[in-house]
Amino acid sequence: MIVLLAVVAGVVAGLVLQPTVPLDLQPYLPIAVVAALDALFGGVRAWLEQIFDDKVFVVSFVGNVLVASLIVYLGDKLGVGGELSTSIVVVLGIRIFSNAAAIRRRLFRA
Amino acid sequence: MRVRPRLLDTPMKRRADESMSLLVDLSAQSLDPGYAEAAARRAQSPNAQAPGAEPRRGALLALGVLAATLVIIVAAVQAHVRAPAAARTRADLVTTVDRENRAVDALARQVDDLRNQVGRLRDAQISGSASGAALAAQLRAEELASGAVAVSGPGLQVTLDDAPPAGAGAGTSGNRVLDRDLQAVVNALWAAGAEAVAINGERLTAQSAIRQAGDAILVDFQPLSPPYHLAAIGDPVELETSFGASDTAAKLRDYVQLYGLRFGYSRESALQLPASAGESLHFARPLPSHSARGGTG
Repeated sequence: MIVLLAVVAGVVAGLVLQPTVPLDLQPYLPIAVVAALDALFGGVRAWLEQIFDDKVFVVSFVGNVLVASLIVYLGDKLGVGGELSTSIVVVLGIRIFSNAAAIRRRLFRA
Repeated sequence: MRVRPRLLDTPMKRRADESMSLLVDLSAQSLDPGYAEAAARRAQSPNAQAPGAEPRRGALLALGVLAATLVIIVAAVQAHVRAPAAARTRADLVTTVDRENRAVDALARQVDDLRNQVGRLRDAQISGSASGAALAAQLRAEELASGAVAVSGPGLQVTLDDAPPAGAGAGTSGNRVLDRDLQAVVNALWAAGAEAVAINGERLTAQSAIRQAGDAILVDFQPLSPPYHLAAIGDPVELETSFGASDTAAKLRDYVQLYGLRFGYSRESALQLPASAGESLHFARPLPSHSARGGTG
């Protein structure tokens, strides 16, 4: 229930406020997006497997965003920011995909 | 589905190669291992949670979900807002380019008109005396040679075109007319005695450049498209024989055979060449006593 409320609040806040991302933070937006998707899919899968833990969910989301941003920031300083950003998207993308597959197997038993 | 019993049973035990089995970990641990560890902890001490922790946990969870949703929505909104803005900017730029192009054309026409006017007024002013008439004649000759005025007369028309798309060597640069082909033809025409040369209506002067930029051939920064019509004013018979016997013409005939380029030339009784788009002097200035010295040439 509270999760649904939070989702609705997030959507409404994003659409109503339309916050603009500062230019300095724009490179980190795609990473934040895949980290958020990864956290959501992971959370749904854990919930379906009945091992969901809210602290793990929040900490892993925030931690992943921070670590990924840090890696990209470091990559920017070293001139490989774009490549590292791609690598993070790939790694988290694989996780998202296999979590989605696990959710599918659990829901449809197929 | 079994949830990694290995991790549940022995959460702290690590494989020796754990940090190196990157791809295995990626697919095997797609779910954060923290969930399993938390579940194991809960299983060991079911009542460890302090009273009052439940609402705080709920708020934490709501905050996390809200943040994740917000990030996704913000990204979607950004992508949505930025795409039309980019298209709008592009349309604005296209409009600006079109408008400026039209302005440039209008100004070029105005320059032509004013040049003609200046020439007429000058001739009217100086043609009164014998020395003035000689000067006017000399000026006209110089203008003809420098491409400053439009000219007409008999001459030779040379036509060059890329090979047809289905021809031999299609898709390579072998079947296309290159800038150096045009340069060679122009040089051969000058050598054959041409007095004025233009390519597709672009008058060539001593300062003209013919060069390739990507797929286009530029003459004085004006892009040309095939077929290329080179008009040269001069004695038609002399031009035809000299040009026809030149190395360039022989080479181009070879290209016709080898690559399927199209190449031809014919005598014309009346050709009209425009004035050059404008020879601008960037550094040279007339002498202060220009009018006094002009008479002595």
